[in-house]
Amino acid sequence: MSELKEQLKSQIIEQLNLEDLTPADIKNDSPLFGDEGLGLDSIDALEFIVLLDSFYGIKIEDPAAAREIFHSVDSMAAFIESKK
Amino acid sequence: MKIISHSYINPKGAFLNGQNVLIATEENYLKSYFSELEIDYSKFYKMDLLSKAAFLGDYLLHNSYKDLLNVENELQFVFANASSSKETDIRFIESYERKKNPSPSLFVYTLPNILTGELAIKHKWFGENIFYILTKFDSDFFNDQIAMSFLRGNEYCLCGWVEMTGSPEDECFMFLVAKSEVVNENLSNKLNEILNNYRNE
Repeated sequence: MSELKEQLKSQIIEQLNLEDLTPADIKNDSPLFGDEGLGLDSIDALEFIVLLDSFYGIKIEDPAAAREIFHSVDSMAAFIESKK
Repeated sequence: MKIISHSYINPKGAFLNGQNVLIATEENYLKSYFSELEIDYSKFYKMDLLSKAAFLGDYLLHNSYKDLLNVENELQFVFANASSSKETDIRFIESYERKKNPSPSLFVYTLPNILTGELAIKHKWFGENIFYILTKFDSDFFNDQIAMSFLRGNEYCLCGWVEMTGSPEDECFMFLVAKSEVVNENLSNKLNEILNNYRNE
């Protein structure tokens, strides 16, 4: 699971063009959206949908669930694991 | 019209009112300045070069305007550059031609005036804003735009020449001008003098 989380962080940095950040700058349990976390917004949620599809072959069927899934690296990793 | 303060950012350093205040400690100089200033604003990392440079240039100026009256409604942004959002445009093209994935997070920065939006959002300012594409910095043009802005009722203009393409020649020159009854300087000549001094640092 920890390997998946580190991989996810690298993919988030690449997908969202956050070149100034390193995986170490992203905490597993920090909110990804809003001012308290990485400051991501709805545009970035689209990037996450593409990320899950292209790297893991997972499609988000229920858009309402996206907020919970994309809350943090922890929640994204747990969602990916649940789909394996 | 009166220049209240000015800032300048390039790969060599960050300057405020003619004084060098920061020197880059790493190749990514915008990140270096952001870290040195210990700013807590995570959205910075998402921005393109234009918005990052303007964000930092504005941050250096913030002491100059924090006590101004009604600045949120009576301040206009007047910005310009020569290359528009070229650096992001190229990256966006690469995202769909090479990676086959047109990136939404890049797409949102494929307009240069997004930087004025970033500043307006940060400060919750509601005034006018405009971004021009010029062949080069034109102090007479800025002078005329500022004069017209004041005739329309604005009290302040936050202006910038933000030319950022990822080149060693990149620069972000920002200046805050106030409407003033006392015309004690030729704004156009003064701007040229200030910018030339920064470029020769």
